[in-house]
Amino acid sequence: METVKDSTFIGALLPLVVVIFIIAVGVVLLYQHFQKNLFIQKLNQETLKNIHQGDLLRSSIEAQEEEQKRIAHNLHDELGAVLSIMRMNIIMLEQQEQEMPIPMLTGLQNVRRLCESALDSTRNISHRLMPPQLEAFGLIKTLESVIGQINNANSLCIHLDVPSNLPLFSRSINLGLYRIIMELINNTIKHSGAAKATIDIRLADQLIICHYSDNGIGFSNDHINKGLGHKSIDGRVNALNGTLDIRALSGVGFHAAIQIPIQTLVFDGMETICEYPFSIKA
Amino acid sequence: MISLKTIVILSHLPILATVVLAALRYRQLSKALQVFSWFIFLSGAIQFTSLWLCLVSINNMPLLHIYVAAGFPCLAWFYKTVLGNFINSRIVWGAALLFLLFSIVNSLFIQNIFRFNSNALAVESILIIILALFTFIFFLNHTMMEQGIQDIKSLTWINSGLFIYYLSCLMIFYFGDTILFRFSKDLSRHTWVYHSFFSTVMYICFFAGLWKRSKTPRL
Repeated sequence: METVKDSTFIGALLPLVVVIFIIAVGVVLLYQHFQKNLFIQKLNQETLKNIHQGDLLRSSIEAQEEEQKRIAHNLHDELGAVLSIMRMNIIMLEQQEQEMPIPMLTGLQNVRRLCESALDSTRNISHRLMPPQLEAFGLIKTLESVIGQINNANSLCIHLDVPSNLPLFSRSINLGLYRIIMELINNTIKHSGAAKATIDIRLADQLIICHYSDNGIGFSNDHINKGLGHKSIDGRVNALNGTLDIRALSGVGFHAAIQIPIQTLVFDGMETICEYPFSIKA
Repeated sequence: MISLKTIVILSHLPILATVVLAALRYRQLSKALQVFSWFIFLSGAIQFTSLWLCLVSINNMPLLHIYVAAGFPCLAWFYKTVLGNFINSRIVWGAALLFLLFSIVNSLFIQNIFRFNSNALAVESILIIILALFTFIFFLNHTMMEQGIQDIKSLTWINSGLFIYYLSCLMIFYFGDTILFRFSKDLSRHTWVYHSFFSTVMYICFFAGLWKRSKTPRL
């Protein structure tokens, strides 16, 4: 009788133990599922946050470019026009030289020279703010023009290496790459003491690859990303969803590699390179 | 039909593998896993000694009393290391001290060292189930996911092993004394086969946890 009772007890206990074991395993599996879902949720939130930040960065750069364009137009078309009219009037006054005393004529000539200098400065500033060739002729022609001016004026000699069959880039790539390259050239002129610089732009596997190097004094890696210029380059590369790799060793020179993902679109039978829609980098 | 002796011996293989792995990788483990390794070493030493005593037909119950009394403080220390500042250390150490006192009182006055200490084991199981559940909640915490816990995968495996084992064996532990000393040997053996299975599951989880340890240098 005792054995029957015992076996009944064990017969009830062991299935109960098995049920509890199944519940315990279930809790663990459920926990794993929750944890996985939470990680996915967190990842999605981060992805959205990154996309939002990318959009903000692009909008801010676009607004900045639009503002620069507006100022450049105003300077060129309004202030430039006023200065031109001033210069014309002064020239007309100068032509009546017989009727005016010599000190006054000298004064007028001085004002005309100042006016011409202001006109040149206005043109230079407006071109620097928004080079007129960039929209009309594209990045490569603009770079060739700028490099031509630098090579004539400075001790720095820049060599631009671009394949002849490079298609047109979209406005944002043109502007972004132009600003990046100009910042790099500016750094070379100001800080490197380099005699030679090379710019190499190519297309490979849905990427625009731009290598910039100079033979200047370089700098230690601790100084990378410390200056405003580098931060601006970094921001523009990020806005184009690209990558930037800077190598600069003291005494060896400077090298920057920029890669921008692209997609090729055809407008009116003309191949155009556009920036790739923003995606998240791992 | 495999005999009970074979099953008991086979159930010690995962214990041996875990002890060896913990010893081999001890220096590369994080603080929490090193603390847990001390529990593995204690557990391994007691389990193998009790297996030998069992094989030479000597009552190994005193070892179980030592295992329970020393094992819980080890596990409390492990949980304290894992949970860090998210649990008041006084609560953990207070619980460990009270349990140790209870376990000693139980062994001396209630269930002597030659009997199965079902009271202490059941209380230990309940405490570890609470700590394991709390640790699961802690691991799911958003803040911790942002901060990142070193060895989270390893710790999840170990916590899961402890949770499954102690929850599944709670009833066996509670009725352990009755089953061992009042029921027939045949019925008792049935129960310990189940226990061996749960123990194997737990040590496989421990092994997986130590195997999946973080490859990053320990803090």
